[in-house]
Amino acid sequence: MMEKVTETAAGERENTKHRRIPISVSVSALWIAFIVVVALLAYQIAPYQYTALDLPNRLASPFHPQHLLGTDELGRDILSRLIVSVRISVLVALGATLISACFGTTMGFAAAHFRGRVEQFILMLADFQAAMPFLVLSLSVLAFFGNALPLFIGLMGLYGWERYARIARGLAISASAQGYAGAVRQLGASPRRIYLRHILPNIASTLIVSMTLTFPEIILMESSLSFLGLGVQPPMTSLGNMLGYGREYMTRAPWIMFAPATLIVTTTLSISLLGDWLRDRLDKGLQ
Amino acid sequence: MLRFAAIRILRAVLTIALVVTFAFLVLRLSGDPARSIMGDDASPEAMAAFRREWGLDQPLWMQYLHYFAAIFQGELGRSMRGGGPALDLVLGRIPATLMLTLPALLMKLAIGIPAGIYAALHRDSAIDRAVMVTAVAGYTVPSFVLGLVLVQVLAIWFAWLPTGGTGSLQHLILPIITLGVGGAAVLARFVRSAMLEVLGQPYIRTASAKGIPWAAVVRGHALPNAAIPTVTIVGFMVGNLIAGSVVVESVFSWPGVGNLLVVSVTARDLAVVQCILLLVAVAMVLSNLIVDFLYGFLDPRLSTGGAET
Amino acid sequence: MTANILELHGISRSYSTRQGLFARKMPVHAVDEVSLSLQQGQTLALVGESGSGKSTTGRIALGLERPNGGHVLFRGSELPPVDTPAWRRMRTQMQMIYQDPLAALDRRLSILDQVREPLDVHDIASASERNIKALAMLDAVGLNASHASSLPHQLSGGQRQRAVLARALIMQPALLVCDEPVSALDVSIQAQVVNLLMDLQKDLRLSLLFISHDLKVVRQVSQRMAVMYLGRIVEYGETNLLLSNPTHPYTRALVSAVPVAGRRTRERIILKGEPPNPADRPTGCAFHPRCPVVRPECMSVSPTFSTLPDGRSVACHAVDAAQPTKEVGI
Repeated sequence: MMEKVTETAAGERENTKHRRIPISVSVSALWIAFIVVVALLAYQIAPYQYTALDLPNRLASPFHPQHLLGTDELGRDILSRLIVSVRISVLVALGATLISACFGTTMGFAAAHFRGRVEQFILMLADFQAAMPFLVLSLSVLAFFGNALPLFIGLMGLYGWERYARIARGLAISASAQGYAGAVRQLGASPRRIYLRHILPNIASTLIVSMTLTFPEIILMESSLSFLGLGVQPPMTSLGNMLGYGREYMTRAPWIMFAPATLIVTTTLSISLLGDWLRDRLDKGLQ
Repeated sequence: MLRFAAIRILRAVLTIALVVTFAFLVLRLSGDPARSIMGDDASPEAMAAFRREWGLDQPLWMQYLHYFAAIFQGELGRSMRGGGPALDLVLGRIPATLMLTLPALLMKLAIGIPAGIYAALHRDSAIDRAVMVTAVAGYTVPSFVLGLVLVQVLAIWFAWLPTGGTGSLQHLILPIITLGVGGAAVLARFVRSAMLEVLGQPYIRTASAKGIPWAAVVRGHALPNAAIPTVTIVGFMVGNLIAGSVVVESVFSWPGVGNLLVVSVTARDLAVVQCILLLVAVAMVLSNLIVDFLYGFLDPRLSTGGAET
Repeated sequence: MTANILELHGISRSYSTRQGLFARKMPVHAVDEVSLSLQQGQTLALVGESGSGKSTTGRIALGLERPNGGHVLFRGSELPPVDTPAWRRMRTQMQMIYQDPLAALDRRLSILDQVREPLDVHDIASASERNIKALAMLDAVGLNASHASSLPHQLSGGQRQRAVLARALIMQPALLVCDEPVSALDVSIQAQVVNLLMDLQKDLRLSLLFISHDLKVVRQVSQRMAVMYLGRIVEYGETNLLLSNPTHPYTRALVSAVPVAGRRTRERIILKGEPPNPADRPTGCAFHPRCPVVRPECMSVSPTFSTLPDGRSVACHAVDAAQPTKEVGI
């Protein structure tokens, strides 16, 4: 998905000015592509099943002949677990980002369309969401409802919806006031047509940039919760979950912890760099 | 100004009411509140008393009102595990949390603000780039990773500091650093962009074109104007004093509010969770309120008109 | 009266705005008791400074906004409420041209797609016929197939306005409201677009409500005109009469600012005082602070319409005093 974003953004600017892409950004894009491939092919490329035990080789250190990155306390292959963790973490973050973007954009359009009380109410919810620490909110929901994976993804999908809602509302209002959306409404088009065929494609690039900025935050939120033992539950594994269980063996087997930690940091860093760069280009493009 | 204050306070109360509503809805949706709040091992008489007391035998909207009334009387239920009032339990943990978050806040301010200002004034210098790289790293490295790395290096390999727990001042060092670094990075980044925004304004160019010394322009015009947006994010940090160290407390086994929250969530001790949720909301709303008034003080335009609510 | 395609009867529109965040709400009268009528196939021009309420009047005439008072009759019946299915169907009969064609077009869709859109929306003709119709319409406004496949920003200002015109006319509406249609265009292009508009009006038997502040264009396109000042009509009648012999002091000031060939240049009347602010409407006659012939009663009493012998209506105390008149409603 991420490569596509760079492609379209780059394609749009090509006819105006050809700027060089900074090395950090291209490295980030390559790394993200790599992560996406790993996530897609997780079960094909993992050398072992992520739950397979190898009891004789418990807590083996990295570069072990059978286990490149070593094993954990039950002798499970770290590399295989890492690959599957990437898949789960990316899946959760991707699902949550899409839910959040769809929900937020819908709320923003609703606010722009109905105005008045509906708009006030949605803005109040957005303020509330922005003011409350998301970790505490999601922890309380998890306490009440338990943590099945679909519920967990849905909960993460509430992260950051208020940003999309604000963007969508603002842009939709300005498009309707004197712009193309008002003109199309005047032609007799239904609200659905106005919002889906006209406004949405026009604000999509801004929304996608927001998604690249929210995505790493959701990965961090997911891994924090899983780290606390309240996100993705064993036997399933995710980056934060590996880290959380790995820390009990910190003194004896620090590699259990370091592999997922490195992956979390490099991946979120890459997406942030790419997102920042995309936002800068978009800002310049709008001026 | 009086209207301004009244409306802000009304909004603050409304936000708290929204949180209470949220807690009520979640509580109702997740099953029998009596069982949830009182715990599974409560006696049938106690459950019946609780139902009467909280009006659970009445229609939903009456229950809602009762719930509100109970909460505003400080009746927040009893901890399922400890048995004591949830509120006392949570309040008892606050000093421990503040021991971490207050010094961390000072650290964020002491490092983040000067670094941001310096970077903005020396844009594209080596120090600016260093600040920016550190800032990006600072907010992409999650606190649990940073904390664990610090523990691994300073506590395990070099054995200079304890890995976790309480007891001495040395126990405070690692958690405070872990909390402070990320926040300082975010703050530096924010202050830098706020400063750059202000420095690009025409009135700054006018002021320096008039021959006012640059240092005086920065002190007299740039800093006060950049302070306005900065107040918001610092306000958020202040509101987060109670709840901002959940992960770090868990990493360092620190007996604060965050640790209590995680343990209570794991044990589904709902009365305590709900109590923490409400306290955090109150802290957030209060700090937002203070920020709003500071805004009115820093930027007189906002209290007389212009901004849309 | 049966030939009138559009009639506005005493329409008013006020907005409530706040001066400050917490100041009391103040109603601002954008349009106040405006009555107009437009005959089938003719052009009525609406003239005034910005803030005079002429655009709001245009939007009300089209049913895009609902007046607070009065009513709008289109072909003798009242317009349906905004955003109802009946209102949407009504769009095929009445359309609008905007001041800024670039803003009125979707930047991401080709001109052809946008001109075809009304047919898609109202489900007119089969899918393949729509493209043919759209291309024919584009041809009628002077755009070819290569323009049709372009995006809005690839065209010039005049070409964009032609595209907007094509989009509005493809459903063959009876009424077209043009809100400053040429004021954003280069002067050389203005004449082309105005001529095109007049040709199309003849061919399609269009009725035009033409909103403009440019009296040269107004003289060219319209049979009747109304001059607005701060939400009210101050003078209303045949365009030729009003431009050759304006009676209201405000109309006189506007006309004197335009050099006209074949007539002795007379001294230009320059208006003094602050430009009008709808939120702070003067008492009495709203024009009195800037009026060169202001009389004592102008400051307190709002003038009513009088009909002059030549058929025009004027709202001015000074005119009333100079001529024997009878009072009428329009």
